[in-house]
Amino acid sequence: MATTTAAVTLTSDLLSDNMSVSASTTCTKAGTTADGLDMMDYRYLDIASGTNWDLSNADNSLNKNKANKVYIANHSTDETYYVIITIDATVIGRLYAGDWMFIPWGAEDATADIEIQGATGTNTICYALFHEGQTLHAGGDTV
Amino acid sequence: MATTATISISSDIAPGFGGISNTMTLTKAGALTDIEETIGFSRRKLAATTAVDIIRMATELVDTTATTTAAKVYVRNMGDGKGSFDKSTYVKISIGASDGTMQEIGKLYGGDWMLFPVTAADDMDVVAAPENNNAVVLEYTMFYE
Repeated sequence: MATTTAAVTLTSDLLSDNMSVSASTTCTKAGTTADGLDMMDYRYLDIASGTNWDLSNADNSLNKNKANKVYIANHSTDETYYVIITIDATVIGRLYAGDWMFIPWGAEDATADIEIQGATGTNTICYALFHEGQTLHAGGDTV
Repeated sequence: MATTATISISSDIAPGFGGISNTMTLTKAGALTDIEETIGFSRRKLAATTAVDIIRMATELVDTTATTTAAKVYVRNMGDGKGSFDKSTYVKISIGASDGTMQEIGKLYGGDWMLFPVTAADDMDVVAAPENNNAVVLEYTMFYE
């Protein structure tokens, strides 16, 4: 089986005693203990200010109610640059230059797209989706 | 004072994929100034499928009218809280209000974690709903402006 692991270390000195949290998980298919996610998409793209795109389209080609994992990072260097992340028209939050996020994404129905809107500047985005499979659109070319 | 988060992803799904490693310093919106506030680190046991607000923005000392913040939330499904992680059951994490409209983000199975930005606006709470009535422990925190 394919093995995908995601680890995080979170440290902060805001409190009187330092906080340090580490976690690691093996990304498995929904409801299974040993069957790992075995499909992935990995992209690197520019998102211009004022444009709005589906990063992950939850239409019928993507299997529903799964244990997909999504990583999005804003690699812009100007701290005023940011993108707005939404799921099914609900704003989740803003990713400013240098920020990243990692979430499970069930793609619970066909409207649960993850969308990205460039708000300031042209943002350079790294995006990875680890998923359980999708139906490819049939090609129209005859060769 | 600084708060940092480092992610490392490794995978053998695709030959040649070199993995992902990235560190961010949590800063205020549109600035290089470090985020200075946190709700602290929380641990909560849930034992019912009822959706509950684990972070209710209106009760935190945040500007609940703001939509321009760079707040970040971390949540982990700790399984039974005693070291046993059940990968077959999940806690659904949503944004909204447990007594109102919610938008599912995704399902955290045993041991899974997530870190994501939030608006910290008044009606955009972080909501958790376990799949079943078995006890499950969540650990979570939020850093905000």
